[in-house]
Amino acid sequence: MAKVLTRVELNGVVNDVWVEVPENEPAAWPKQAELAVLGKPLPRVDGPDKVSGRAKYTHDVNLSHMLWMKFFRSPYPHARITSLDTSRAEALPGVKRVYTYENTPDISWYANRSKLFDTTLRFVGDEVAAVVAVDEHIAADALPLIDVEYEEMPYVLDAETALSPDAPAIHEGGPQDAPGARNLQGGRPSLYTRGDVEKGFAEADFVIEHTFRSPCQVHACLETHCSVAAWQGDKLTVWDSTQAVHPVRESLAQILNIPIANIRVICLYSGGGFGSKLWINKYTVLAALAARDLGRPVKVTLDREEDALAMGNRPANVMTIRAGCKRDGTLTALTLKNIGSVGAYNAGAGVGTPLREVYRCPNVSTEESNVYINADVARPHRAPGHVQGTWGLEQVLDILAEKCGLDPLDFRLRNYSDTDQVRNLPYSTKGLREAYEKGAEKFGWRDRTARQALSRGPKKRGFGLATQIWGGAGGPPGYAVVNLYSDGTAAVFSGGQDIGSATRTSMLQVAAEELGLPADKLSIVMGDTQGTPYGFVSGGSRTTPSQAPAVRMAAAEVKGQLLELAGKQMNLPAQRLSTREGYVFDTQNPSTRKPIAEVTKELQFGFGTGDRVQNMLIGKGWRGPNPADVSVNSWGAQFAEVEVDIETGEIRVLRIVAAHEAGRLVNPLTASSQIEGGVIQGLGFALFEERVLNNASGRMVNANLHDYKIPTMKDIPEIESVLIDLPDARANSVGVKGLGEPPIIPTPGAIANAVADALGVRVFETPMTPQRVLEALEKGLVLRAQPEEGRRA
Amino acid sequence: MPARRKPTSSSFSFTRRRFLQGVAAGTAAAVVAPELGRAQLQIDEEISGQPRVAIRLRVNGRSYRLSVEPRWTLLDVLRNRLDLTGTKRVCDRGECGACTVLRDGKPVYSCLTLAVDAQDSDLETIEGLSADGRLHPLQEAFVRHDALQCGFCTPGMVMASKALLDRNPQPSLDDIKEGLCGNLCKCGTYTKIFRAVQDAAQTLRRS
Amino acid sequence: MRNFEFVNAPTTERAIELLGPQAKLIAGGTDLLDELKEGLIAPERLVNLKANRALKYLRFSPSEGLRLGALTTLSELETDRTVREHYPMLAAAVRVIASPQIRNMATVGGNLCQRPRCWYYRNDALHCTRKGGPICYAVSGENQYHAILGGHLCFIVHPSDLAPALMAYDARISYAGPGGRKTLPLGEFFVGPAVNITRENLLQPNEVVEEISLPTPAAGTRGVYLKVRDRNTWDFATLSVAAVLEMDGATCRRARIVLGAVAPVPWPAPDADKVLTGARITPEVARRAADAALRGARPMSHNAHKVPLAKNLVRRAILKAAGVSP
Repeated sequence: MAKVLTRVELNGVVNDVWVEVPENEPAAWPKQAELAVLGKPLPRVDGPDKVSGRAKYTHDVNLSHMLWMKFFRSPYPHARITSLDTSRAEALPGVKRVYTYENTPDISWYANRSKLFDTTLRFVGDEVAAVVAVDEHIAADALPLIDVEYEEMPYVLDAETALSPDAPAIHEGGPQDAPGARNLQGGRPSLYTRGDVEKGFAEADFVIEHTFRSPCQVHACLETHCSVAAWQGDKLTVWDSTQAVHPVRESLAQILNIPIANIRVICLYSGGGFGSKLWINKYTVLAALAARDLGRPVKVTLDREEDALAMGNRPANVMTIRAGCKRDGTLTALTLKNIGSVGAYNAGAGVGTPLREVYRCPNVSTEESNVYINADVARPHRAPGHVQGTWGLEQVLDILAEKCGLDPLDFRLRNYSDTDQVRNLPYSTKGLREAYEKGAEKFGWRDRTARQALSRGPKKRGFGLATQIWGGAGGPPGYAVVNLYSDGTAAVFSGGQDIGSATRTSMLQVAAEELGLPADKLSIVMGDTQGTPYGFVSGGSRTTPSQAPAVRMAAAEVKGQLLELAGKQMNLPAQRLSTREGYVFDTQNPSTRKPIAEVTKELQFGFGTGDRVQNMLIGKGWRGPNPADVSVNSWGAQFAEVEVDIETGEIRVLRIVAAHEAGRLVNPLTASSQIEGGVIQGLGFALFEERVLNNASGRMVNANLHDYKIPTMKDIPEIESVLIDLPDARANSVGVKGLGEPPIIPTPGAIANAVADALGVRVFETPMTPQRVLEALEKGLVLRAQPEEGRRA
Repeated sequence: MPARRKPTSSSFSFTRRRFLQGVAAGTAAAVVAPELGRAQLQIDEEISGQPRVAIRLRVNGRSYRLSVEPRWTLLDVLRNRLDLTGTKRVCDRGECGACTVLRDGKPVYSCLTLAVDAQDSDLETIEGLSADGRLHPLQEAFVRHDALQCGFCTPGMVMASKALLDRNPQPSLDDIKEGLCGNLCKCGTYTKIFRAVQDAAQTLRRS
Repeated sequence: MRNFEFVNAPTTERAIELLGPQAKLIAGGTDLLDELKEGLIAPERLVNLKANRALKYLRFSPSEGLRLGALTTLSELETDRTVREHYPMLAAAVRVIASPQIRNMATVGGNLCQRPRCWYYRNDALHCTRKGGPICYAVSGENQYHAILGGHLCFIVHPSDLAPALMAYDARISYAGPGGRKTLPLGEFFVGPAVNITRENLLQPNEVVEEISLPTPAAGTRGVYLKVRDRNTWDFATLSVAAVLEMDGATCRRARIVLGAVAPVPWPAPDADKVLTGARITPEVARRAADAALRGARPMSHNAHKVPLAKNLVRRAILKAAGVSP
């Protein structure tokens, strides 16, 4: 079979991956094909387990003889351990053992910059020791009995300060300490240029420059990070709240130096991930080590504070955007300088993709610096970089539109791009124009001035919109197996996981559609390495576009076998047969048909002893390469209506219309759930969420769900989803693109533009709290007292 | 002070049958053996030497006699002693609602309730709602309207909804928001929850 | 959370006996468990006040006014018909406290005695002045939620919504200790950091709040409670105002303005009351009263916005209570 290299993107990181080209992959369904199961609002198949409390999450795994592990974490943002004594803790009745750098293997961590237990601590929450005890309370009791002495070291908590020449070095030696590159990851910023930005600014009639600050945002998954590890001889089973059962298994095999085949990782349900559970964590390794060492299962469940301190975040960014356009609204130049705080170890904090790709602009440059600070390490967080980047970019667009006297929507349409300007490729499909049109219509964008009159006294109405791009192609690797049994039911075994995005349901629909079976004749397993073939991480909106084609291919292979069987039974050539709604039928004479369950009866036979024996049909499928000659992206636009109280600074988001295109619409019910969820999380970013670090101690002071604020039921607007069904035949055989990240991306920008529309001044920092609104109003009054001069390059 | 014990070498009773069910049972796979090893637990309790008190809890109509440390919350006892793990621990500070149970019909946070302080009341958890194996109309409505994503807030949401509908069978949208606002969802399922509760209210009124 | 002994106290006398420096009272527990879990306190004994059914009552008579047993829950207060009828502003204030579950659990006495929500105080690793330590981290730190009035070496704000509302209705508090029972105006119960930096009220470790009483409002009394907070559930006030105006036509006979979340204690504004008393309420009078209420405000580095916010809110509350359009 032919192997090719294909381009695969995950959260903005691009890799070329070898993949076998499937020889008999089914052709994409035609756009107008009448499908029986795909595109229908099937309630999610695991719903009954989740509403009844039966669904077992990692938190819920309680095994007999199980021990509990608790972590002792660094109280300092930067320190060296000078002495560590665990004897008092180990003497506490009920404590089984305390693990530290002194009695654990030398396992490298953070890309070889640190270890499982390091003696240099680089952020508050860094792991110092782990206690294992008979229950969680005893383990917690032991923590204060661990005696540690530290040499405190100077620290820095924000990226701008970290770049200054006299800032303390977070890592000693290496290129990041080169002159002018203090604490700069990789020793230099990453650069992108196309065209000639100076020329572009010179051609502009209007040039503006603004700096936008977005804070660090933690994931706050409701299920905190946790693992349970148990050994049977040399076989290890790990329950892990993860988005990556297969990658976690590989990491465990490598770290523990045991065969992959000896490890089983299970995560049937996880209480949220949002990117914070994409890879293995220290506690999982320690649970496995301790379970082996102590001969009993070990459970570790982080508490809310630990989760906020040490389990990743969306990095804080300082983004300076300069933009120029002609009087008619044509963009001539865009530049971005981004300083992002990655935390104490390597991570990504780029935000430039939307600026480089969304709008047509010949002259663009971006300079992005990933900067170390003494705080927890960033991780991908739903639409990494895109949320912040779009929030800044979309405000710049509105400011320019106002200068040109253009409607914000017209300004965006003026700069609509039909090609991927970074890769010089056409888009496979691009439903953005439709998203603008249908979204604007649903929202009443063109008639919004009438609604402006609803402003009452100090409560001002405002309207705003923003655009979204995301690389939603997915790609290999991804595998699936489908079994068809003698009673006409089928089971799907798919790589990847359902992290709450209804992937089980989507995959089941794909298999049902291909097999011609009603959905209730299928079951599906995802999230167990022992029961499913390989799938890569479930993140970056990649699961559906990666796994759906694999599932379809596996189902098609089974269907081929089924039709062969039916052909013999019905005395018709298999090529003439197809399946629909549980029947095999003759395509030339549809009334000639036979129930699939009748056809498959032949698979069952007896030995004459009364024992029933089953044959079954089995098909395997995998994800083939991505198309090389087009760019595959998901698109969308959101429209926001807000009311701002100029006397209290309170913002109420009244309404969001979210129009999104992500290829074929697999399930309108669960797709709209994805969209509503994205909007609500975007609202959290815009109005509430911010990690607050105390300068005097380096500690996070809002590591709980009261002070770290997630939107409540009473804070959300009316949300209307506009689902644009545009099967993308070039993308893959199912025509689907990723929808997980897209809906969070434009929300903060749309809200920010609506707030500016209401106030007449802008808030250049999120979250837009009453404090910042009132401060912006105060500053706006001062500014408006002086005549404004248009800046020219 | 008791001598430090060597780690036990006895193998744990992880049944192979249970172990294999995970694959076979599809989406409903429950892989976990709930039965705690009683003998080992007793040893552990003796080792820890923490003072215990005997209590009695009435949960979902059943009475349980337990020996608990006074500091254990009702949430911990439900989850780790009674294996009623449908009630979730998320914030452990009364800031999210995932641990909502009904105490004499009223929704309360079990993470802010000490187990010793929960005696003499009728407690109802998510497991009690479909004890006969059939989903309650509210649960059915949650599934039908996709009022859940990751599902971790869902049991708490359902219990708060039950309390609301018991008190107010015909809630307006604002009543629903007011009644359920003590339950946080990170995935953002609120809009669907409004629909599910309104629909369930109608179903319940009809029946 | 360190282990403790849990003892029921069926009477106030028994509770007083059981209390001491190493013991804590538990009623609703919604704040106490938070403090225990954070390790801010580690008592050896919890004295369960809920065993004392005699402290759970809510009685109203026109002659005696409203009497609230300390164990009355917030949801009982919120839904009580006589409260809604005679003290609507009190019901309104309770309705915006925390969340329904908390209101089902939390008690009136507990709400008044809850500890501050300052994020430095609540962090067990930060040894701040309120915990007997050397520094107030808010001074050089993130102080957007902190005090603009009444701070002194400590800049917490008092977290209660109930307290400003009760004080505006001239509530009195009764509490008992080894020395007998004391009754005093609720405003006098709270003490600022200049008096005692580690406590927010006069209650000693071996004393128990028993009752809150409110006089029957005079005819023409109108109350308004306004609260600004980040989220519409759970959040403590960024700023709140309780206003009670006794109106005679357009003229104010008597006024009580009390602010929440501006100072380490619920903050009465007698200067504002003076501006209003006897005055015909107009937007201009309301503005002058608001200015008077905030006289002496000294914002910190990140909370200057609280001054105009408080003024706007006071003005709004007065006009709303007086039924005057702004």
